[in-house]
Amino acid sequence: MTSTLTEARSRTATPHRRTKRVRWRGPLVAWLFLAPALLLFLYFKFIPMFVGLWKSFFKVQTFLGDEWLGLQNYQTIISDADFAAAIWHSVLLALGTTVGSLVLGLGFALLIEGPARYLWFVRTAAFLPVVTTMAAVAEVWRIMFHPAPSGMLNVIIGWVGIDAQPWLASEHSSLWSIMLMSIWRGTPYDMMIFLAGLVGVDRTLYEAAAVDGASTWHRLRHITLPALRPVFWILFTLAAIRGLRVFVEVYVLTNGGPNGSSEVLMTLIYKLGFQKNDLGVASAGGIVLFLATLVLTLVAQMLRRRQAT
Amino acid sequence: MSRRLLGVAVTATLAVTLTGCGSGGSSSDNALEIWIRQAPDSDSAKTAVKLADAFTKASGVKTKVVALFDDFETKLNQQAAQKKLPDIVINDTAQLGNMHSQGWLREVDKAALAGGDKLSERAWVAATGSDGKFYAAPFSAQAFALIVRKDWREKVGLEPPKTWDDLAKLAQAFTEKDPDGNGQADTAGFVIPAGTKRGYASWYASSLIYANGGDFIKSTGGGHFQATVNDPKTVEAVQYLQDQFCKTKTVNPGAVSNDTTVTHEVFEKGQGGIYLVGPYVLARFVKSVGTDKIEVLPLPKGPSGGPGTLGEGENVYMMAGSDQQDAQKKFAEFAISPEGQRIGMNKDANGAIVRLPVNTQVDMAAERQDPRWKVFQDAYANAVYAPPVPNWAPIRQDSADTINAVWADCSSNVKAAMDQLNTKLTQELQSQKAS
Repeated sequence: MTSTLTEARSRTATPHRRTKRVRWRGPLVAWLFLAPALLLFLYFKFIPMFVGLWKSFFKVQTFLGDEWLGLQNYQTIISDADFAAAIWHSVLLALGTTVGSLVLGLGFALLIEGPARYLWFVRTAAFLPVVTTMAAVAEVWRIMFHPAPSGMLNVIIGWVGIDAQPWLASEHSSLWSIMLMSIWRGTPYDMMIFLAGLVGVDRTLYEAAAVDGASTWHRLRHITLPALRPVFWILFTLAAIRGLRVFVEVYVLTNGGPNGSSEVLMTLIYKLGFQKNDLGVASAGGIVLFLATLVLTLVAQMLRRRQAT
Repeated sequence: MSRRLLGVAVTATLAVTLTGCGSGGSSSDNALEIWIRQAPDSDSAKTAVKLADAFTKASGVKTKVVALFDDFETKLNQQAAQKKLPDIVINDTAQLGNMHSQGWLREVDKAALAGGDKLSERAWVAATGSDGKFYAAPFSAQAFALIVRKDWREKVGLEPPKTWDDLAKLAQAFTEKDPDGNGQADTAGFVIPAGTKRGYASWYASSLIYANGGDFIKSTGGGHFQATVNDPKTVEAVQYLQDQFCKTKTVNPGAVSNDTTVTHEVFEKGQGGIYLVGPYVLARFVKSVGTDKIEVLPLPKGPSGGPGTLGEGENVYMMAGSDQQDAQKKFAEFAISPEGQRIGMNKDANGAIVRLPVNTQVDMAAERQDPRWKVFQDAYANAVYAPPVPNWAPIRQDSADTINAVWADCSSNVKAAMDQLNTKLTQELQSQKAS
């Protein structure tokens, strides 16, 4: 009798445990798969971020021990005229690079979209700038930007009768020159995302439009561009964040000069931290940059949602 | 099931690896760790290894040489944050204040350092902190001189410059008279690293400022300093260079964005013919350009003062927190000894980590056959070191930003810019509690 009772209880308990186990299995497997990436992010990204935030309240002296300053580092960085100039240059560079890469990327994507066999070669060749290390790209462009008439770009523009330009050597053209290189590098990336987006456009819409007598421009405007709207938002958000964080290209090409004309937030922060050894103020600058990026991303997301509804 | 196991295994491996990273993993061989600011695998790094090996042979102390060039101070900062500084650092004399203010350096008892009395007094100046105490053993010295394309100078028919006017004329001739004879206007007079990375614009201008009797700041006694960068002699030197950039246009194109790495190449490619630089590139240029095409000339004194050039070099720093203090001292003593200095000089070959010996018992002419080294040695007699402020790095960086600005913007007024810089340096000295 007793044994029967026990058996009965165990019989009812087993399915319960099983459903519980089943309920947990999915998330558990997912978390296990996520764990390696999360651990790496935690160690190399999130912990340093919080340490950066913490250090921004101190006068950082790595060996002597830090000295609490409260918000003084933030006051220093925000009241610094160079910081305001660097923000302006960063925004200008981010905007120019984003718009330039988007427009050219879309143009190229439309030109090389299609199933033709030889296109894989064109796409691969066009994508090469993205996979090349930024430092190497910048070094090659620095040589191409050589401001004498014998410089490569100056020789090219000389063929169409334009005088030799100073490129990086003039405070009036340094930022634009860096932008030109960034667009060259960013365009193929945007192009590939656009190509992926174009694959998803319903072909029957084109056929229907063609039957209705719509011109190429009308098809582009009323079918292709609306269908690519999500792609635009993704690219815009990514490019804007990338643009604000720009560092290597500026560091290698001009290090912010001449006359501070191409100083961006990241090079200024680097200079404060590692050339003037003011790590606390540099951390405060990093946090301000993080907040700016966060706000920009949230605004972009909000605008996207509002448009979607 | 196997996939899940794989996931767990990967996670566990990563966790173990990361925990391993976090614990720091101190070296178990207990070797004396020596960091030197030289490119890994460079000739200079090899010389440093030779020096360390000779020290091991002489003392029995094991050593481990770490050669790093890019972001050297950043990496030191990372080590300091973990309280695991290397035992010895061989780095620029100008970094002393920066490292001392961070508490990284051990004080050096000059009297107790064997062989310390054999070093030149001028070299000891470079090892002095803002409190007048010594925080390094001087290891190498250098002054600056003009490395000039001799074949070009002879082609344009001019004598070695004796005044700043002569120098300007030589630069103009190099720019306008096609000294390389290729029929194109593709040469410049001066090659200048006038970018702001590591404060290069200020670093370069320093020699002309000192050659004209000017300065950035001056000591007012008792560890206090006053900014003097708007002094007429300093302004005159910066103005002289602005004229080269803007009026006569005798500087290599793109100089305002260049650091020394690029500028060395500009000289080697024959794009410019006058390089005011330290002796550390002499062997390299002799090899790459050709020994008969290179001459070394002293920098003429300025119209209002001089003579003088920037004095620099490297110190052996004994780092704080080391558990091998005795071995640190022994290494410093070996590095400054005649034997250590000779190994570091590396004769006439490329890769000298001792540019000019600081030990008065070492006869440079006996070690090096190339007489061009002597020009640098003679210039060292009038070399001016950065003053012992608590931290020279921000002063050099601020000066570089301003000087770069007046060279890049030809419409800018040098005097007004230097007045502004003077105010900025005054504030910086106040913040360092050194005014």
